[in-house]
Amino acid sequence: MGPKSILKSSAVPADAVDARKPPVNEQHLQVALQHANIIQDQKNVEQEILNATLELLEFPPDSKADPARPSPSDAHKFKTLVMPFQPNDYDALIEERNCADLCGYALCPRPRKKVPSASKLHFVDSRDRGVQIVPKKMLEVWCSDDCARRALYVKVQLNEEPAWMRRTGGGQEIEILVENTEALEFALPLRLKSKNKVQGELKDEDGEDIAAAWALADEALAELSQERGDKDSMPRTELIKAKIEERTNVKTPSAPSAETTASSAHMAIEGHIPKSDAKKTKDADDDEEDNDWDD
Amino acid sequence: MDSDRRDNPAMIRMWRIYRTAKEMCMDRGYQMLEEDINISLAEFVDRFGKEGDHEPDRSRMGFSAKPSEAMLIKYTDPPTPKVPNPQPQIGEIWIDFSGDENVGLKQLRDFMQHLVSTSYYSGILITPKPITGMALRLLRGSTQFEDGPRGGVETFEEQHLLVNITKHELVPKHVLLSKEEKAQLLERYRLKETQLPRIQVTDPVAKYLGLRRGQVVKIIRRSETAGRYASYRWAI
Repeated sequence: MGPKSILKSSAVPADAVDARKPPVNEQHLQVALQHANIIQDQKNVEQEILNATLELLEFPPDSKADPARPSPSDAHKFKTLVMPFQPNDYDALIEERNCADLCGYALCPRPRKKVPSASKLHFVDSRDRGVQIVPKKMLEVWCSDDCARRALYVKVQLNEEPAWMRRTGGGQEIEILVENTEALEFALPLRLKSKNKVQGELKDEDGEDIAAAWALADEALAELSQERGDKDSMPRTELIKAKIEERTNVKTPSAPSAETTASSAHMAIEGHIPKSDAKKTKDADDDEEDNDWDD
Repeated sequence: MDSDRRDNPAMIRMWRIYRTAKEMCMDRGYQMLEEDINISLAEFVDRFGKEGDHEPDRSRMGFSAKPSEAMLIKYTDPPTPKVPNPQPQIGEIWIDFSGDENVGLKQLRDFMQHLVSTSYYSGILITPKPITGMALRLLRGSTQFEDGPRGGVETFEEQHLLVNITKHELVPKHVLLSKEEKAQLLERYRLKETQLPRIQVTDPVAKYLGLRRGQVVKIIRRSETAGRYASYRWAI
């Protein structure tokens, strides 16, 4: 151990402050917690996106899957995984898939297109834009133009806002460009089942109408709460309180006594007495006299 | 180097990178052979050149290194009552030269799995181009990543190993301190580690030495007035 310090131990005054002003420290704690939670949220979302990317890297599981007609389970999984993405995360996913020599569209199992020549830049002749010079890399992103269209159709729907800042939690449903729309819509069994459970008793002859009505109402309510920004998905403590507290015990102001002004007059700078000095004096003569002039 | 045929620039480039990688391992304290470090270009071409064309064959260039005794001691925590004989926080390293142009998540994960399956403690991947953003993100979290090796994975771009930066005259000597030396230093100057000056782990020299967060390096500079001046930095 090092030699004992000759300085006054600072533990006692610190404790005294704690006891006197708990609300301040509590507020500090809350502020710290709030910010820590925000950072934790960010980390969680980043991890989630990384895991989703890792999973989508080996997508789809079936090597003969058709990107135009994905199986319902694949489509559903893709949609849920891609939900927290920002457009640049999606770009990163495409880049990763290209590094693995796959087509950039995550529902397409085919390898990406290879341009036979070795030159870095290529001429591309398109009808609407004329001849353009395009880097080779850009040409090798997709397996076909259809896949490019499908992938970019998803990208434009992604939310620019990072997922931890989205007020409604996950984000809205993402549509994908498919040919077998009916099959996909038919296959949303999870949600239908849970609703049936709740309204199970009502399933009579006209019970179905009632169930449908209930479902509509639920949907409308959910939409409304989304619009209002109700944070049921991410409950957070708010620092700003809506409730206003009145200060109850307000003393009548008293005129300053001549004594106090005299004792601190020499400290004043243009009539203002610096706080740090005031505190020091107070600590120093705490045990001698109790004529506090700043209470 | 006076050879009758003109050497392939790619070959010369790779030769320099290879030598810097070897020197880096030696400076970190791994056991290295003297003749390996001072390998001549002709020998390098012989060993790693592809048949026919004189392109370097990156897949054959990978090598492993064992930590030396001194390094093992340096990386071992001082014994405590709870842990009477602590294990060194270092082990055999595998240095790999990536043949793929673009290194993404897939390649990095393959590399990590390779390290785990061959039970190397840590690894270095040297890539021709910068790795992708997602792969960087994976690396950052790889200490918690259950698939990765215990000692973590570092990546270097080939371009950054062309020259050994520590040999530049403006780069002072950096010496890593062991846990024990660090404790002595802090006691000698009655400091907390947070009161030391800092160095980022992404600093080029810190990356070269493979510093980990919390380690302290001694930096020895020449000084006109004092002859030699030592300062200490805490890696964050």
